Amino acid sequence: MEQDSNDRKNGPDLVASLIRAAGRRIEPPADAYQQVLTAATAAFREKSAQRRGRMWVLIAAAASVAAVALLVVQWNGTSTESQVATIARVIGSVEIETDGEWEPMTGARGSLGTGARLRTLAGGNVALDLDGGASLRLAAATEVQMDGPRQILLRSGRLYLDNRASVGTGYRIETPAGTARDVGTQFELRVADGILRLRVREGRVEIDRAGQLLSGSAGEQLEFDALGGVTRSMIAPTDAEWQWTEAVASAPDIEGQPATVLLRWVARETGRQLRYEPAAVETRAAAVILHGNIQHLTPMAALEVMLATTDLEYALSGDTMVIRTRTEP
Amino acid sequence: MADLVHLDRATARRILGGDEAAFRELFDRFFPRLYRFALARLNRDQELARDVVQQTFCNAIERLDSYRGEAALYTWFCQICRNVIADHYRRRQRGSERVVLLEDQPNVRAILEALAAPTDDEPDTGVWRQQVHRVVEATLDALPGRYGEVLEWKYLDGESVNEIARRLELGPKAAESLLTRARVAFRAAISELAGASDELTGALGRSPG
Repeated sequence: MEQDSNDRKNGPDLVASLIRAAGRRIEPPADAYQQVLTAATAAFREKSAQRRGRMWVLIAAAASVAAVALLVVQWNGTSTESQVATIARVIGSVEIETDGEWEPMTGARGSLGTGARLRTLAGGNVALDLDGGASLRLAAATEVQMDGPRQILLRSGRLYLDNRASVGTGYRIETPAGTARDVGTQFELRVADGILRLRVREGRVEIDRAGQLLSGSAGEQLEFDALGGVTRSMIAPTDAEWQWTEAVASAPDIEGQPATVLLRWVARETGRQLRYEPAAVETRAAAVILHGNIQHLTPMAALEVMLATTDLEYALSGDTMVIRTRTEP
Repeated sequence: MADLVHLDRATARRILGGDEAAFRELFDRFFPRLYRFALARLNRDQELARDVVQQTFCNAIERLDSYRGEAALYTWFCQICRNVIADHYRRRQRGSERVVLLEDQPNVRAILEALAAPTDDEPDTGVWRQQVHRVVEATLDALPGRYGEVLEWKYLDGESVNEIARRLELGPKAAESLLTRARVAFRAAISELAGASDELTGALGRSPG
């Protein structure tokens, strides 16, 4: 073994003797390493997301002449330059942050500005109509911040985005565990305990995790663990797991509208293809004018109620909703 | 030390800027050291040490904005770890069972961040070896950069300067210089500790068995 000049000058080598007498340092168990890394990575990503959120606020503050309007939700139903969404539907306990305090959200049709934060409590759901044309829905126990017209920060919990308009640059959803960009789609994103889960119902979604790009297509579920591992599995567009999104769906105003408006909405909300049998039934459906209000009905309940007043009926066949003219017994 | 703190401030800034590679590098550098740090203070309870270190990382990341570089980043993490351990004992109301370490004497603590407590339930040779092990382990953990690893490669694995140079992708002269600096730092830390604690002087001054 080599010995440097210091060793020789100093006689017996204290450094070498002590290190050899002590032996190797204790190595932590691999499972402890993995567990702590997972938790610490989640904390790091959450911290990064919080700082990005604050940065957006600062940028907004610098750009705004009316500083007092910043971070304050435009809760009076009027539109402002910074408006990014409108509350479409509230179920159960939903809270909104105003001046640093969480306050109950009492009803729909208010508007949200850049920087607005809202959260759902146990059993609560909320649907927002985003100014870009998409529908955003929050499951229970979820917190988001509206970072911009097409940018949302999902702090925790689960959201669903339906970008039915499929126009523009798509939406960007930041989470502590990665960033999602929709490419004209319906998808669900959940972040919990450092694990990011993406479920794509329609179209395609790109996920950016620290520069690593991955995409999920319709029918796919991707689960990203904190260490960068990805697990892919399948989830049908009609799977029962999507039902929470239907429960909070914001129904169209069907008064005076043709039945085709209702049918297209129900098909999209339930993840089904729409087929008229025979094709001429579509012309018939377009001629049926509906009257009434389905605002508080789920898509399938609205379908049942409204078709009962027409000569149309439906049947579910796999992932397809078939519309026919009624056959009387 | 000033250079080290400067580097630590830069690391903290990178992490706060969202640089995940910087975070991971810091984690890999600190995790084993903090784990040993906690283990020595928690009656060798591995599960508890894991949980304490996990909480330490989470707290440290949350408060990283407040790191001003007055001390080395590892020292700052150790202080957070101490607080987590203190919280643990407060919650359990087990103050009487708390492990009191040599390093927690103010004079020793000022020199190094970690030293383990002696035990009195082993034969003399075992006690001596255990004390030396803990002192050396804590000293190696407290050394900056990769000094601890370099010394282990040299004296436990018997690697030559050239082999260490290849590992670190350095020239032989740079590796030799690094090894010399590591030896000097280790010797200085041990000497200061021995001067600061009679108990430690006794442990180091005895020969085994």
